[in-house]
Amino acid sequence: MSLDSPRLRLGVLGVVVASLFAALLARAWYLQVVQAPTARLEANGNRVRTVTIPAPRGRILDRQGRPLVVNQEINAVTVSRAQLSKRSDVLEKLARVLVMPVDELQRKVDDKRFSPYKPVPVAENVPKDKLIYIGEHAADFPGVEGVRLTQRAYPQGNIAAHLLGYVAEINDKELAARKNKGYKAGDEIGKSGIEAAYEDDLRGSPGIEQLEVDARGRVLRTIASKLPSTGHDVKLTVDIDIQKLAEDSLDRGLKAARAANDRERKKHFLAPAGSVVVLDPHDGSVLALASNPTYDPAKFIGGITLADFAALQDPAQGSPLTDRATQGQYAPGSTFKLITSVAALRAGVINPNSSFTDAGCYLIGGSKQRVCNALHESHGPVNVTRALTVSSDVFYYHLGDVFWQTRRQNGETPIQDVAHEFGLGKSSGIPVGGESPGLVSTPETRRKLHDKYPKAYPNGQWFAGDNVNLAIGQGELTVTPLQLANAYAAFANGGTLYEPRVADSVIDADGKPVRTVAPKANGHVDLPPSVRDPIMRGLLGVTSDPRGTAAGAFSGFSQAGFQVAGKTGTAQVVNKQDTALFTCFGPFPDSRYEVTVVMEEAGFGADAAAPVARRILDVLAGHTPKDITVTGIPGD
Amino acid sequence: MAGLRVPRNAAAPWRHLDFSLIAATVALASLGIVMIYSATNHKLEQSGIDPYFYVKKQATWIALGAVLMAVVATIDYRRLREFAPVLYGGAVLVLAAVISPVGSNAKGAQAWFQLGPFKFEPSEWAKVVLILCVASYGASHRGELSGRQVLGVLVLAAVPMALIELQPDLGTNLVFMAILMAVLLVAGARPRHIATLTVLGIVGSVAVLQLGVLKQYQVDRLTAFLHPTGDVRGSTYNLHQSVNAIAAGSLTGKGLFKGTQTNLGFVPEQHTDFIFTVVGEELGFAGAITLLALFAIVVWRTWRTAGLARDLFGTLLCVGVLAMFVFQVFENVGMTMGIMPITGIPLPFMSYGGSATIACFVGVGLVLNVHMRRFA
Repeated sequence: MSLDSPRLRLGVLGVVVASLFAALLARAWYLQVVQAPTARLEANGNRVRTVTIPAPRGRILDRQGRPLVVNQEINAVTVSRAQLSKRSDVLEKLARVLVMPVDELQRKVDDKRFSPYKPVPVAENVPKDKLIYIGEHAADFPGVEGVRLTQRAYPQGNIAAHLLGYVAEINDKELAARKNKGYKAGDEIGKSGIEAAYEDDLRGSPGIEQLEVDARGRVLRTIASKLPSTGHDVKLTVDIDIQKLAEDSLDRGLKAARAANDRERKKHFLAPAGSVVVLDPHDGSVLALASNPTYDPAKFIGGITLADFAALQDPAQGSPLTDRATQGQYAPGSTFKLITSVAALRAGVINPNSSFTDAGCYLIGGSKQRVCNALHESHGPVNVTRALTVSSDVFYYHLGDVFWQTRRQNGETPIQDVAHEFGLGKSSGIPVGGESPGLVSTPETRRKLHDKYPKAYPNGQWFAGDNVNLAIGQGELTVTPLQLANAYAAFANGGTLYEPRVADSVIDADGKPVRTVAPKANGHVDLPPSVRDPIMRGLLGVTSDPRGTAAGAFSGFSQAGFQVAGKTGTAQVVNKQDTALFTCFGPFPDSRYEVTVVMEEAGFGADAAAPVARRILDVLAGHTPKDITVTGIPGD
Repeated sequence: MAGLRVPRNAAAPWRHLDFSLIAATVALASLGIVMIYSATNHKLEQSGIDPYFYVKKQATWIALGAVLMAVVATIDYRRLREFAPVLYGGAVLVLAAVISPVGSNAKGAQAWFQLGPFKFEPSEWAKVVLILCVASYGASHRGELSGRQVLGVLVLAAVPMALIELQPDLGTNLVFMAILMAVLLVAGARPRHIATLTVLGIVGSVAVLQLGVLKQYQVDRLTAFLHPTGDVRGSTYNLHQSVNAIAAGSLTGKGLFKGTQTNLGFVPEQHTDFIFTVVGEELGFAGAITLLALFAIVVWRTWRTAGLARDLFGTLLCVGVLAMFVFQVFENVGMTMGIMPITGIPLPFMSYGGSATIACFVGVGLVLNVHMRRFA
């Protein structure tokens, strides 16, 4: 056989063919045996897509189970920005279907308040037939979807807006803190009020769906799914009726104050803002928490515009977003005399019968520094009971002075210590966030203020005059309306300082209780009868004694069966009209309500704030409420 | 001792049918049908079409192919040689017609005639015609080809190849080249001519890639296998999904009809050019070996027949058919596994497609023909 025969050449061909087959075999071995494990993983990742289904949030109910915040489902059309950028004709087509101008549609798509992670809702309450049309012509509308959106709805309108709070898209900081709780970018989260405080209960757990998809992303079947479980309902201690009453009375009071004349400044009272707190002294339950001006929480639905959000925080428009009941810090004025009285009686600086002659003015430390009653009127000889009823400043100037002179025996801060016992100077612990702590001024806080702001506080020392000022609730001392209400509630119930309780219980979607929020005592104030009784008599006299500071406001109020103890306060604020305060509780002795009213730049507590409280108490006591008038006539 | 009784007509062709070749061919075509079903039934069902749509059509092609195979096997191949010039002329005419407005266009190529519901793809048939013509020409020179004769073969092939390039159908031309090289080798071309052609082929390929003869997408697709980790969503998408499907099959596969890459449509063109990925994913390495073994049987029987053939024409016919099968199998399977460039070459007997399937059966018919008549 010749070397160049066809047979040999066939042999060469055979070798080539055999090596080609060997190469295929080797490659198949490499892929299917060596690389198989990683390839399997990737093939799985290809076909399985995990989708989170947000859970409807729980509702917020009042103490009787009446809904304050619910969810509503709406038909909406959403547009995915990422998919839209590829096709410019889609918006035009969509605009025709939705019968709206393309510009408007484009503006909605570009709206920055919507999450970059989620499709943007461009139209709401879309008729069903249009949703169906879009669904059926999906190929013409890439990135456009007809969906059912769940939104917050407020069947009671603006009621309790501050307390309820609002929800909005989670931000980076919140997300970082809650990553292990299953939050994702674009999720909604409670931002303030109850929505934030009870976020974990309200949120529910999102459902997870593992979907098998094909190469074009079409869903073929559900591999596994966990249904979303609706969030729990939160039942508040707040009563809608009392809340409405409080908000309405406050609004009337502020309007009446604006109509009244400030005789000192020769103009109307500005009365730009105010707040009302109604507590149940038995357990610290919040029955109403009103702040004025208020806002419409519905503005937050689906995202608030930057302009609207700025307006809600604009001081020129009264900073409506601020919850003045928990965040406003005011000098308590004469309402603080409760604290000074308890301190003096307990320390033995006075006894219930100790009398001091109020001649209208007082010389501090017997020196030439003279301080006087607001109206320079003299109340004659007064004991602690009388001093509270008629609101004698001189009596308390004297106590402040005495405490300063006896600081070796009683310590430097006997009044402040009692203030702390009553919960002043620190957050009350109400679960609603953003609460202000207030300030109980002491020689130490003065020093710190001086160190920090040497210009505003040129003197870092504490003098007798500061003690005198403190005794009547002035100076750097501030309280929040909630703290003031809580302190008086503690006095009313015999000394138990509760943490204000806003939620009564958490119940599941079927109405079954999940947990009850038990009352929580934060402290106890020692109030033996020898201390409490003379003060109580004084406070009762405020509304019932002919010379009581709130006697006018309570004239005609039937105290039979509904005795009210209270205290007026008129706090001076630098460069502003006076803050009007009134705090009261009743029906004595088993007081079920503590009502505190604080009105900014509204004048005298007795004149502006007390009538608001009286109107609330009238309704609570079953009386017919009276119209509120503010006279501008000086009182305390 | 009883003497062996010599049959009267020991040389009768029908007594020498190559049953192994027929069995392997039938096995391949049957496996092909199952794989086409797996690759297409989901998509068809989703579109509301009969899930057996492709299967039924492919079965028809196979039946037609089997009939034509029998017809081709029956006519003595030496008589077929007489038709070679006529077939060549016919092929060139039809290839010219398909790029005229008479032909149909899809996916950027003008490659077939639409005859009612059927597509007739002349370039697939041209492969068989080319084998016949080149074998005929090569056989007329007693096992030695001068440079001039080699050139003659090249000119002969150049006309249909030029027409195919106009479609354009690079894949089929690569098959043509493989057939030419193999036939030239066995027909007795000198080693230095073979070497020269090989070098020219390599230089030519590089030139085609570099000189902008191809569109960019073609270049991307062809070279994707050289950088498999490139843009996974872009030009290497096909390749990535294909390799992944095969690798995910592992040793024994995910089970028939259970491949997720397959069922969910992650591999494009799966029932045609990427049919091997279904085998790889659902039947695993075991299935791949079996498939390659079946092809090896077909190739081995063809190679063996080339050696047994009664004359050089028979040998060259078998060599041409062998080259067609081997190149298509290597290129197609190699491409799905990422070791060859992606070109539109069907896997013989397996890929869905009428013209390609029938042409393969005709090729087997030729081999059977030569085998049957090795004594006659």
